[in-house]
Amino acid sequence: MADPAVMAGGFSAVVRSGGGKATSSPAENYQLARRRTLQVVVSSLLTECGFESAEKAAVETLTEMIQSYISEVGRCAKAYCEHTARITPTLSDTVVTLIEMGFNVDTLPVYAKRSQRMVITAPPVTNAPVIPKALIAGQKRTHPSHIPSHFPEFPDPHTYIKTPTFREPVSDYQVVREKAASQRRDVERALTRFMAKTGETQSLFKDDVTAFPLIAARPSSIPYLSALLPSELELQTLEETDSSEQDDQTDSENMPGNNLNDDPGADKENSVLPPGGVVPSVKASEENMIDNPYLRPVKKPKVRRKK
Amino acid sequence: MFVWMVNLNRIKLNSKQCRIYRVRVNDLEAPFIYNDPTLEVCHHESKQRNLNYFSSAYTAAVSAVDPDAGHGELVIKVPSELWKQGDEMNVLKVYIDFSLDQPKGGLHFVVPDVEGSMAERAAHVFSFGYQNSTRFWFPCVDSYSELCTWKLEFTVDSSMVAVSCGDLVETVYTHDMRKKTFHYVLPIPTAAPNISLAVGPFEILVDPYMHEVTHFCLPQLLPLLKHSMSYLHEIFEFYEEILTCRYPYSCFKTVFVDEAYVQVSSYASMSIFSTNLLHSAMIIDQTPLTRQCLAQALAQQFFGCFISRMSWADEWVLKGISGYIYGLYLKKTFGVNQYRHWIKEELDKIVEYELKMGGVLLHPTFVGGKDKDNPTPHLHFSIKHPHTLSWEYYKMFQCKAHLVMRLIENRISMEFMLQVFNKLLSLASTASSQKYQSHMWSQMLVSTHGFLKSISNVSGKDIGPLIKQWVEQSAVVKFFGSFAFNRKRNVLELEIRQDYTSSGTQKYVGPIKVTVQELDGSFNHTLQIEENSLKHDIPCHSKSRRNKKKKIPLMNGEEVDMDLSAMDADSPLLWIRIDPDMSILRKVEFEQADFMWQYQLRYERDVVAQEEAISALEKFPTPASRLALTDILEQDQCFYKVRQGACFCLAKIANSMMSTWTGPPAMKSLFTRMFCCKSCPNIVKTNNFINFQSYFLQKTMPVAMAQLRDIQNLCPKDVLNFILDLIKYNDNRKNKFSDNYYRAELIDALTNSLTPAISISNEVRTVDNLNGDVRLILEEITRFLNMEKLLPSYRNTITVSCLRAIRTLQKNGHIPSDPSLFKSYAEYGHFVDVRVAALEAVVDYTRVDRSPVELQWLLNMVQNDPAHYIRHKILSMLGKNPPFTKAVDSPLCNEALVDQLWKLMNSGTSHDWRLRCDAVNLYYTLFGLTRPSCLPLPELGLVLNLKEKKAVLNPTVKPEQGPGPAEVSGHVPIPSSVAPPPQGLKRKLDSVVGPLGSTSPEPGQVLQEEDSSKKFKIREDEIDMESPHDSQAFIHHHLNMLERPSTPGKEPTAADQALLSLPATPLPSFGKEANSSSKHGGGEHHHHHHHHHEHKKKKKKHKHKHKHKHKHDSREKERDSHACSNSPASGRSMRSPSVSD
Repeated sequence: MADPAVMAGGFSAVVRSGGGKATSSPAENYQLARRRTLQVVVSSLLTECGFESAEKAAVETLTEMIQSYISEVGRCAKAYCEHTARITPTLSDTVVTLIEMGFNVDTLPVYAKRSQRMVITAPPVTNAPVIPKALIAGQKRTHPSHIPSHFPEFPDPHTYIKTPTFREPVSDYQVVREKAASQRRDVERALTRFMAKTGETQSLFKDDVTAFPLIAARPSSIPYLSALLPSELELQTLEETDSSEQDDQTDSENMPGNNLNDDPGADKENSVLPPGGVVPSVKASEENMIDNPYLRPVKKPKVRRKK
Repeated sequence: MFVWMVNLNRIKLNSKQCRIYRVRVNDLEAPFIYNDPTLEVCHHESKQRNLNYFSSAYTAAVSAVDPDAGHGELVIKVPSELWKQGDEMNVLKVYIDFSLDQPKGGLHFVVPDVEGSMAERAAHVFSFGYQNSTRFWFPCVDSYSELCTWKLEFTVDSSMVAVSCGDLVETVYTHDMRKKTFHYVLPIPTAAPNISLAVGPFEILVDPYMHEVTHFCLPQLLPLLKHSMSYLHEIFEFYEEILTCRYPYSCFKTVFVDEAYVQVSSYASMSIFSTNLLHSAMIIDQTPLTRQCLAQALAQQFFGCFISRMSWADEWVLKGISGYIYGLYLKKTFGVNQYRHWIKEELDKIVEYELKMGGVLLHPTFVGGKDKDNPTPHLHFSIKHPHTLSWEYYKMFQCKAHLVMRLIENRISMEFMLQVFNKLLSLASTASSQKYQSHMWSQMLVSTHGFLKSISNVSGKDIGPLIKQWVEQSAVVKFFGSFAFNRKRNVLELEIRQDYTSSGTQKYVGPIKVTVQELDGSFNHTLQIEENSLKHDIPCHSKSRRNKKKKIPLMNGEEVDMDLSAMDADSPLLWIRIDPDMSILRKVEFEQADFMWQYQLRYERDVVAQEEAISALEKFPTPASRLALTDILEQDQCFYKVRQGACFCLAKIANSMMSTWTGPPAMKSLFTRMFCCKSCPNIVKTNNFINFQSYFLQKTMPVAMAQLRDIQNLCPKDVLNFILDLIKYNDNRKNKFSDNYYRAELIDALTNSLTPAISISNEVRTVDNLNGDVRLILEEITRFLNMEKLLPSYRNTITVSCLRAIRTLQKNGHIPSDPSLFKSYAEYGHFVDVRVAALEAVVDYTRVDRSPVELQWLLNMVQNDPAHYIRHKILSMLGKNPPFTKAVDSPLCNEALVDQLWKLMNSGTSHDWRLRCDAVNLYYTLFGLTRPSCLPLPELGLVLNLKEKKAVLNPTVKPEQGPGPAEVSGHVPIPSSVAPPPQGLKRKLDSVVGPLGSTSPEPGQVLQEEDSSKKFKIREDEIDMESPHDSQAFIHHHLNMLERPSTPGKEPTAADQALLSLPATPLPSFGKEANSSSKHGGGEHHHHHHHHHEHKKKKKKHKHKHKHKHKHDSREKERDSHACSNSPASGRSMRSPSVSD
C-alpha cells in the first residue's frame, strides 16, 4: 500500500520539476518506479482476466485509475487515523475506509488467495526522495509532563511564538565580495543573454552565431542624451551621496521652458515668483535681481509696422 | 560703407552658396556678378591628376576671392551716379537680397528624426567654419581685418531661441504670434568671421555668479550644464586679473550644440561648444578637459574675437597670445607640474611634426609672390591662406605659436608680457568706443609688427633674433649631447652637436642653459652655441668624495640623502640637463650613464626631467632601473603623470629583462598593496576615487601590466587572471564617481594582453578552436558591450574600448576579420566617440585586408555623412593609417579611386575648407605630389609630343616643377610640370582659343588697378540677414546652390565699359530662369521687410547686355607675377557668366 505522505511528496516533486526534460532527479526516479510497478499490476490483472494484449492508452488509463483508487484509500485512512488522534493508520482505519468506499471487505481474503494469482516482483529499490527539511529556528519544546509522549511533538516555535531568526552573518570579507561579484555577473549575463535572445543580434563568428551574441547596435535619433546623461542607477547613487545639488536643479527648471512657449504675461510672473513656494530668502531676492535679456518676456508686435 | 577714394566703381564682397536676388546701393539698383572659383578648382574636363597642379590652382582660386586682398566672389558695380562723391566722406549703403537653401557648409542643421515638433525634437542650427567662413551663410567682407558694428535680427519659431553676437536688445513676436524676432546689437567693431548664430530650443541658464553670462544647452541637459558651468566664473576672474582688463563685451554666451564642427569655437561675445563637453558631477576625466576648453574659448574672446588680426600672417600673434594666457591659466589651476608637463608635451609634438613633415612657419612673408620664393617648399599645400592649410599643420601652427610666446616671456619676463597684452587690450577698448570716422579702429587689429613694437616699447629689449629664428623661419633645433669628466682638471667636457641638415631642422646659435647636479649642489651654466664650437668645458664645483655622509642640496634648495653607491667613484656628477627650461624649440638627445638617469628620476624635482629620465631608462633594463621606477611609482608626492609614465616604462624594462626577472610580474605586488584589500590580496577594494592621483594610477597600472610578456611572448597567465579578477570584483556601489573610464581602461588592458594567435595557415577562425584565454576575454567584452546597451556609460567609453578590443582580436587572428560589426556602429545615430572608434576599425580593416569595398564605403561616408566632424575624421584617419602609400603598389590603387579622390577635393568638398584640405592630404599620402603611378599616361592629344612624353614618363624624377602649372589654362591637359614656360604659354594660346581671350594682359587693366587696388573700408550698418526662422523650411528645400552658383550681374554704364579695354562679350541672362523659379519656390523665406516687394520688378531689368569683366586678372597680375589670372579657377569663373548668346 502506498504511503500517502510519500505519494504526496512524489507528486509535489513532479510538480516542482515540471517541465524538466531529460534530467531526472531522485524523486522522479522513485515516482517512475512506482508507476511502472502499477503498470505491471494492471497488466497482470488483465492477463488474469484473459486479455492477450491491450492498447497502451487503455493500460495507462487503468493505471491511472488504480493509482487514484489507492491514493484515495491512503488519504481516507490517514484522515480516520488523525480523527482518533493518532499519527499512524491502523488496519481498522483502512477497513473502515474501504467500507466507506463501497468495497466489500469480506471478499478480499478470498480474492487474495485465488489460485491463478500472478506474483509480481517487488518494485526496484530506489532511494526515497529527500524531503526538504522544514525550517528549524530555535529549539523545539518538549512535551510538558501532563501531555503523554505519544502525542505529536510541538511544532517549530517560529510557527506559534516570536522567534528571533538569524543566522551567523557571513563575516568573511572575501566570501561576501566573491558572492556579490558572482551574483552581479550572473545577473548581468542572464540579462544580456536574455536581451540578446529576444532581440536582434550581431555575431563575431560566422560558424556559430550564438556563441558570443552581441545585442545589435541600434542608432538612436538623439545619441548624445543617453551618452551624456547619467543613468538612473547612477543618479540614485548620486542622490545618496549628495542631495544638496538636487535642490538646485529643481528650482530653475521653470525658468527657460516657460519663457519660450507661453504667453508673455504668465512668464513674467513665473520668473518673479520664487520657485516651489519656498520661503524667499537670499536666493529669491537674487533671482529678482537677475536682469538677463533672455529671461525678459517677449514683446508683443508693434502695430506701427503695418503701414 | 565709407568711401575713401575717388571713383569707387565696384564693391567686392564674399559670398558662397547664397542665392543673391538683387543688390541695391543707396536705393539704386546695382548690377553684380557672382562667381566662386573655389567651387571647382580644376576643370572637370582636365585629365591632370598631379597634386602640384591642384595645389597651385587651389591657391590661385582662394587668392582670387581673398578678402584680405580686396577680392570677393560677389562683385557689385556701383551705379555711376554715386561715383564721384568720394571726396567728402560719403556713405554708401549696400542692400543685398539673398536666400540660402540647404547650405552644405557654414550653417549646420541638426534635426533628429523623431516624432514631435521641431522643439521637441531638439532640432537646432548653428554656424561653423574653419577660419573666416562667414561668407557661407551671408554675403560679407569675410576678413578678420574689416571691422564694423552690427545689428542683427533673427526671426525664429516661437519655441526657439536665437543666440548671436552682441546684446539682445529685445525679442518681439511676429503678428501671428507664431514666431519671434531676436534683435541683437553689437556696438563693438567686429569682423564678419567673428559673427555667429545658433538657433534651437535651448534651455537657458543664467550664470549664478555673473548674470551677464548666459549658458544654453539642448533640452534635458540642463543639470549637466549647471554642473559644467559652475566653474566658469573663476576662469573669468583669472583672465581679468592677469590682463588687468575687463572682459571686453557686455555679455557672454555659451552654446552647447550637437555635431559640433570643433570642440570649441569662439565668436564675438559668444562661444559654441560641443555638447559632449557637458558632464555631471560624477565624471572625473572629462572635468579638466571641459574646463580647459572653456578656458581656451575665453582666452580667444580677448585675443581672436575682440582683438582681431591685420592679416593671415599675423595669425600667430593671436593664437600665440590666447594659447599663452591659456597656459597661464593651466599653471594656476592645475599646477606647475601639469603646466610643465603640458609644455613638454606640446614641444615634443611640434618637434616630432616638424622633423617628420618639415617646418612650420609662423609668419609667412611672400615678398616676391613667386612660387619659387615659396617659404615652405617641403609642403604639398600652400601656407599663403588659412584655407589651403592642412588641419594637422594648423594645429601644429597654434601649438608652435604659444610656445614661441613662452619663449618671448622667457626673454622679457612675464610681467612685461602681461603689460604688453594689457596695452593691446586697452588701446583696443579705447578704439572700440570711438566712432569709425576717428580712424581708431585699426588699433583693434594686431599685427606682427605692432606686437613686436609694443614689446620693445614695454620691455626695452630687442627680441629680433628670437623672432627671426622662430617666427620668420620654420623648423626646430636638434641637439645631440654627450660628455666626459676630466678628473685631472675637475672639468666637465660637454659636447653639443646639432643636426641642421635634415628636414625640419635649423641651426641654432646663441645661449643655452645647462644644469649640472653635482654632489655639492646644482649649478646652472649658460653656454654659447656658436658656429664651430662643439665642446664646452664646465668647471665642477665639488671634489668627488665618497665617504663623507652629507646631504646633497638640490636645485630647489631641498637637501636630500642619497645612496651614492651606484655612481662613478671618480666623478662628482649626478646628472646633467641641457636646456632644462625648454627655452629653445628643440629635441635633445643626451647621453649619460644609466645611474645618472636613475638619480635624475629619483631626485630631480622637475617633472620634465623625470619624464626625460623615464624615457631614457627604457634603454637600460637593469635591476637598478627597475628599482628607481618602482620607487617613483610608490611615491605619492610624485606627479601622477610621471608615475603613469613610469608604469609603461617598467613594463618595457620587465620585458627586456624577461630572463632575469625575479618575483611576481612587475607592478602586481605594488597594485595589490595600493588598491587591494589587506585581508584578501586578490580582491580589489571597492572603488573610491576621491583621491584623483591614485585613481589615475589605478587606471593605468593594469593597462601597463598587460603589456608584459613571457618567454613565449605571451601575456603571463597570472597577469591576465589578475586583470580578469579586477573586472570581476569591480564594485562601484559606494563610489560617488562613475567608474566608466576605469572599466574602459580595464578593457584596454585586456586588449593590451592580446598577442597574435598561433595561426595554422588558412584556417578559418571558429568558435571551437578559440584559445581558452581569449574565450575569457571575449566573454568579458561581450558582456560589457551588451550591458552598455542597457546601461550606457558616459560618452560610451566602454563601447569604444570594446570596439577597439574586438578589432585587436580580429587583427591578431583570434576571431574572423569582419568589418560588418564596426560598420553598424559607425552609422549615423551613434554617439560620435563610438562612431569614430568604429570608423577607425574600418579604416584599419581596409588597410590590412586591402578591401576596396570598405574603402568605397568610407569614401561614400565622407561625401554623405551629415556630421562634418565625422567626414573630417574619416579622411584624417585614412591619412594616418592609409590603405596604401605612394611607395608601395596596391590593388586598391586604381584609376577610379584617383578620379574619385580628385573629384572629392576638386569639387566635392567646396563647402568645407577643412575637408578639402583633408582630401588633399589623403591624396598626397596615397599618390604623392606627382601624377599617380596607376594612371595610364595622359592623352597627349596636343601638339606636345615626344619631348613632352618623355618628361611625363618619369614624373617622379622631377617632382618639383619649375613653372607653376597655373600657366595652363584650365581645361587643357598639358602636364605643365615639364613644359618650359614660354612654350607652354604659347601652346595654350594656340590650342585654346579662350572664348574671351581671357589670358592676355591688356593695357586697360592698368587703369583699373589703380582704383581697385586701393582697399575700401566698409562699414555695414545693416546686414540684412536672412532669418532662418523655421529650420524645416530650409530642410525641405532642395535647391542646390552649389550646382547653380552663378547669378547674373549686369553692366549698366558705358563708362565702365570704357574702363575695360577687354573684348566685351554680351552676357546673357541665362541664370534668370533658374533664379526666378527658385525664387517662387523659396517664397516662404522671410526677407527683410524693406526688400520684400521689389523682386519682381528687378527681374525685368536683367535684359541688359552683360559684359565680361576681369576683376581677378588685374589683381593677381599685380600681386603674383605668375599668371594667376590664367588659372583654371579664375578661368572658369570668367567663362561662366560670359558665354555669348
